[in-house]
Amino acid sequence: MSYNFYDFQNAIQQRNDYVDDQLRDGSPVVGISCPDGIVLFTLRGSQRKLFEVYERIAYGAMGRQSDVESIRIAAIDSAHREGFQRSEDDVCLSRLVGFGISPAVKQVYNDQRAVPLTIRALFAELHDSPADDVFCTLNYDGEYRISKGSAVITGVRSADEVAKDILKTAAPSTRDEAIQVAAKVWAHAYNAMRHARKPGGDVDDNGVRLTPAAAFKGALEKGQILEAALLTRSTSKTSRFECCTPETVSAAVANLDLG
Amino acid sequence: MDVSLFHPQSGDFAAITGFTLTDAHQSVTSHANGLASEPVHGTTVIAVKFKDGVLTVGDRRATGGNAIMYDKAEKVLALDDTMLMAISGAFSKAIEFVRFLRHSFKYYERSQLQSLSLDGKLNEIGRMMAGNLGGAMSGGLVIPVIAVYDQKQAKGRIFFYDAAGARFENLEYAAAGSGSVQIRGAFEYIVRTKGNFSEMTLETALAEALHLLEIAADLDSATGGAGKVLPLARTVTAAGVTEISDDAIRVALGASTTTATSI
Repeated sequence: MSYNFYDFQNAIQQRNDYVDDQLRDGSPVVGISCPDGIVLFTLRGSQRKLFEVYERIAYGAMGRQSDVESIRIAAIDSAHREGFQRSEDDVCLSRLVGFGISPAVKQVYNDQRAVPLTIRALFAELHDSPADDVFCTLNYDGEYRISKGSAVITGVRSADEVAKDILKTAAPSTRDEAIQVAAKVWAHAYNAMRHARKPGGDVDDNGVRLTPAAAFKGALEKGQILEAALLTRSTSKTSRFECCTPETVSAAVANLDLG
Repeated sequence: MDVSLFHPQSGDFAAITGFTLTDAHQSVTSHANGLASEPVHGTTVIAVKFKDGVLTVGDRRATGGNAIMYDKAEKVLALDDTMLMAISGAFSKAIEFVRFLRHSFKYYERSQLQSLSLDGKLNEIGRMMAGNLGGAMSGGLVIPVIAVYDQKQAKGRIFFYDAAGARFENLEYAAAGSGSVQIRGAFEYIVRTKGNFSEMTLETALAEALHLLEIAADLDSATGGAGKVLPLARTVTAAGVTEISDDAIRVALGASTTTATSI
């Protein structure tokens, strides 16, 4: 059977449509720096979505859980191999994602006989000051972007823009403030994703256009669980990664202003 | 690009690194350098229980045959937040042990999303000792003393291994290294005349342990005393691993040291 240029484009488009469609209903993941460290935040169903990769590297993702785990284990394996065979100081996010994970994800994406990974991932790397913290977002096709200060992954491009607009001016000074900012970003991004799903926007049972506050509240009412983690800048423990307790996260977002 | 990235190894750190000790041992002569005819060895380390956990102290000397190679060696090292390894014997092997075990425990915790159990950690150390048997026979012997805080039993515990990897648990104290032979009886004397270490306060246990280390330094040329460089002391308790400050060590040394010696 002949396979021409248009078939190739068609195949790529179909793969993109397939994965984008799966990610459209996902839960965004937000990462933001503050003097205490880096906060990662999301809402999840049953499985954890925020993880420690290495001493100063954390990871969060949206997508199919099996793919989330595949990338997680691949990142952990790669980081630990490098850290042991060379030095912990030689493990860095740009090399880990740029030369390790991203090309491997791209290879899976390019394989027309394989199902592409249904994932969008966010990596964070802690440094001594917030200005030096590095974030990296990775797409299912292997494309990745490196940023400073904050990063977000969502299900649709319009939600990305909404989230980035809020993050642009955010400067939290504590862990709890960072959780609040991240929760606000999550609510606005999730709201934008819901509106993107329906032409003309999404409405509640009374026909009123959904707001970020209603989207956030609705997600919690549907059983979504708040999840936050901190890569702390200062600790006497051997691990810098701490999962925030449900009480801590609930208290931080109790009086959230989602305006 | 290497798609083998997507073949995880179920928490087995040795499998992803290909690390093996059995291939790593070398004969004594291959370690020789211009200063010493033997590989560098760490000397005396001591672990004693106290009422909140385990205290581990070590002198700072590393020797190669008759030569003093280094006087700031760290021989009491944290493997994680609940476990200390005090090392005696071949220094290069011991440091490799510690690097491997630290990575191995962390790798398991990060990949499997749960900590390796205490028994799992102790078995891993035993496997490492057994894997080093060939190295031990040719001058690379390492004898570790393991101090842990057992969260399940809510108490400190002390373990040591023989060269083949057999594990033993000590009730009150343990010591390893060249100076440990000279002070073995003194441990028993303290327990019989002053009571169990596990009932002592940290201050008392520290003073006793430093006293024992000073005796070892007096009677064993390979053990460094506190006169030049202070010993290293760390505790492991329910709160984790804590380093005892130099000031606290000086105070304890003042309380314990007598300059009199019968030799």
